[in-house]
Amino acid sequence: MRSLAPDASSDRTSSGGDRNSVTAYNSKGAPWNRFKRAIERDWQIWVLLLPTIAAFVLFSYLPLYGVQIAFRDYKAVQGILGSKWVGFKHFTDFFASYYSLRLVLNTLLLNIFGLIWSFPVPIILAILLNQLVFAKFKKFVQTVIYVPHFISTVVMVGVLYLFLSPGNGIVNKAITALGGQSVFFMMEPGWFRTLFISSDIWQHAGWSTILFIATLTGIDPELYEAASVDGANKRQKILYIDIPHLIPIAVMMLILSCGSMLASNTDKALLMQTSGNMPVSDIIGVYVYNMGLGKAQFSYTAAINLFINVVNFITIMMVNWVARRVGTTSLF
Amino acid sequence: MGTSVKIGRRMSTGDVLFDMCNVIFWVIILLLVMYPLWLVIIASVSDPDAVLAGKVTFWPVGFSLSGYVGIFQSDQLLRSYFNSIVYTVTGTFVSVFVTMMGAYALSRNFAGKGAVNFFIIFTMFFNGGLIPSYLINKSLGLNNNPLVMIVLGVVSVWNLMIARTYINTNVPGELYDAAVTDGANHFVFFFKVVLPLSGTIMAVLCVYCGVARWNDYFTALVYIRDRKLLPLQTILREIVASLNSTAASMIEDADKMDTINVAAIKRQAEVAKYCSIVVSTAPAVMLYMFMQKYFVKGVLIGSLKG
Repeated sequence: MRSLAPDASSDRTSSGGDRNSVTAYNSKGAPWNRFKRAIERDWQIWVLLLPTIAAFVLFSYLPLYGVQIAFRDYKAVQGILGSKWVGFKHFTDFFASYYSLRLVLNTLLLNIFGLIWSFPVPIILAILLNQLVFAKFKKFVQTVIYVPHFISTVVMVGVLYLFLSPGNGIVNKAITALGGQSVFFMMEPGWFRTLFISSDIWQHAGWSTILFIATLTGIDPELYEAASVDGANKRQKILYIDIPHLIPIAVMMLILSCGSMLASNTDKALLMQTSGNMPVSDIIGVYVYNMGLGKAQFSYTAAINLFINVVNFITIMMVNWVARRVGTTSLF
Repeated sequence: MGTSVKIGRRMSTGDVLFDMCNVIFWVIILLLVMYPLWLVIIASVSDPDAVLAGKVTFWPVGFSLSGYVGIFQSDQLLRSYFNSIVYTVTGTFVSVFVTMMGAYALSRNFAGKGAVNFFIIFTMFFNGGLIPSYLINKSLGLNNNPLVMIVLGVVSVWNLMIARTYINTNVPGELYDAAVTDGANHFVFFFKVVLPLSGTIMAVLCVYCGVARWNDYFTALVYIRDRKLLPLQTILREIVASLNSTAASMIEDADKMDTINVAAIKRQAEVAKYCSIVVSTAPAVMLYMFMQKYFVKGVLIGSLKG
């Protein structure tokens, strides 16, 4: 994700010499000849690229071509091209439906709360980790906080079910031991977002520090030396050296996150959805999965997906534009 | 903090206080991270009755491996475990190989490179979404085909980019020029020079791809119908990640159900859940632990580009 500004580095290497030199392009003759020459020179590169290109064509571009079913009434027997055009029918159907507002709101709120809570955590952790003076302890902390990232979503949610079970989950045992009333967390709509977001932070906040740690490690040590000579304490060093250095990368991450405000973590929401928390846990991705694959509403759900995609893209472009106007950091 | 005084410059009281609070903060964070993991492990080796009664909190109660014995008798779980190993090993091998080839190609200069870069980055912003992908993959014959677990997501833009950056910074262009003088072409250069120089990034890619594949349940949920082909995570979902899960889902058919003591199974169901979590998570975490030394280094190089 970080490398959206493509090629900043790729141009600097390998331009030295080899047969790519400008003279190769100077050949007179028709474009066809130039093309032939380029192929003759580069065919091995294209062979190496072939599996990558094939994978993107098959699994990214063919589905994009299939998006046209959003404007058709897809029937399996008629195929993608044979199905009838219906224009924007599925889009208007979706907006007219009882669920559309709830779905969009649920998705948006889950993402906004998620961003608010989980965005600052890795930055704070990285700053504090960077301040740890005992090298061994620091290394140990780093090793441990990365571990939850490697746990699967199924296991994460499974652990939630186990620990929060109303009958014999440890959390409810503790609550009742303290004289409280047992809570059926996984069925309560009010608990869904809290559990979703806090378990996400537990799992991924440690891992997300990597990028910020890398940025902090890259800061010139002389800056800290100079600050110490001037009598700065740790708090001041963090405020005036660490944070300013982290801002550009943090802004970039923020812009990227804004591009997925209507995206869904379908995997996890699907696992956490129960009949009880449905009013809150029904987000667009889960709805698309249930209606699309469960009830074979292919065109309808493809239309919803396309709508989300377009909104996400417009958002990221707009946020990027604002960031470029206001600040100095932007994706492109 | 006696030791912090030793590091040379005399520290102000404020800074010493800061360091102390920081250490305390991290000890609390460590406990928060490790306690749930620890709890799962001790519950998996405790006496089922103690687990059900909620008596297992800090230390195993009535040590017993019966849960593990139970899950290793479940054909369903063992077969899915085997399936997952096959999917992960082949999938990771193919992914890393294809990614390295593509990344090497993208690190060279060639006519049409800009177009290829655009072609790849474009997919980050626009995708067909679940349903069109499903229909296309179905028409490609991937529905209920184990191949889908290997070819789907074989290259990711992100992995391509970090591998390309790594090759750019670690395989100097002059090396290629020298190799060409010795009569090498791109293929020879890739296998004889680039791959041997790219151990770190390949280790990182192995962890990324391997863990992603091992932990993936959604692909199988969408594409695989045949229960014999299901990977571990999908079976695990039935065992632990649903409201009315029972260990009975580990048992294949009703016939077998009769021969095994149902009551005992129900009693052990709870512990069996913890055991299956441990058994399914261990490989991914161990892979990370083994590769860790390459990992931090490689990830840093990848993310510190430019």
